[in-house]
Amino acid sequence: MTEEEPTPADVDSDQDVISRILAGERDAFAMLIGRYSDPLYRHALGMTGSPDVAEDILQTSFIKAYHHLGEVRGRFDAWLFRIVANGCKDWLKNIRRTHLSYDEDDQPSTFASPDEDLDRTELRQDLDSALAQLAPSLREAFIMKHVEGRSYEEMADLLATTVGALKMRVHRAREALQTLLEEKYD
Amino acid sequence: MLDRHEAHDDRNLGQDLPQRDAATLADRPLADREVPLPGMAAANEPALVIHQWLDGETSEAEARRADAKQVDLWKMISSETEQRRRMTTPSYLAANIMAAIPDARTEATMATATATSTGTMVESRSALPMTMVLMLGAGLFAIGIVIGKML
Repeated sequence: MTEEEPTPADVDSDQDVISRILAGERDAFAMLIGRYSDPLYRHALGMTGSPDVAEDILQTSFIKAYHHLGEVRGRFDAWLFRIVANGCKDWLKNIRRTHLSYDEDDQPSTFASPDEDLDRTELRQDLDSALAQLAPSLREAFIMKHVEGRSYEEMADLLATTVGALKMRVHRAREALQTLLEEKYD
Repeated sequence: MLDRHEAHDDRNLGQDLPQRDAATLADRPLADREVPLPGMAAANEPALVIHQWLDGETSEAEARRADAKQVDLWKMISSETEQRRRMTTPSYLAANIMAAIPDARTEATMATATATSTGTMVESRSALPMTMVLMLGAGLFAIGIVIGKML
């Protein structure tokens, strides 16, 4: 840790920030956006497969959260996660999807050679296609474990379920993805 | 053991019916079918080792001994998922959200405007700071004197 980095005591807790917003300091809400937008964006992107939809869900969720800040009981991050996760599930229920993939313009490639880039794009599309075939709860579990890098305990906390149930979902998701991808990539 | 956590999922509706349409079942997503996992795990020891490796419970060497091909496949998938883990929110999104949430002062003004009708005008005028009213009065008085002298 460098000297410039704030210590935990220097950083306002979510509850402190919420109190300031509720007292009329609207701009403090930007702190909460800064803290949580990246992991939530990755979740929405993983669930929907579309950067545009992920942005819409995130924007709607944060606005909803702002209007209901006074109702937060317990952990703000878990409460906010549920708003985003429900937004993703609602979208999945309502949309009739054919094929979705990441927009290359939105996420510029960092790979050196064109061949490597092509391989990567193909793998990305195949993984998206395979993920789209999973049931939403399995996709959610896989994304949280492998894309967001969360522990089973953290996932259980956020989804209000047991570690055992989540392990089962992740295992099933892996087995399904393995079956869908191994023929091509074996 | 059957997977009960999926009971709320629409895709599983009707799965307990005695007569299931085989064709419909075949069309369902692979991962959405009920499979007794423990039995399968016992019958498929290498798969279990791969899961343990992916969960960080055993070494890659151990996983390779169980199924090297699967390890290679998952290393490739992991390279993609790790790439996605580094994705960040587009920079304009935070500004868009802040622009979309109401300003506290605007909200208060709008609430006042919609809550009352003509009385609101009088009320909001009387809410002006006294110093501003005095300064306005003094200014009008001075303008009146100047105009009076010109005439």
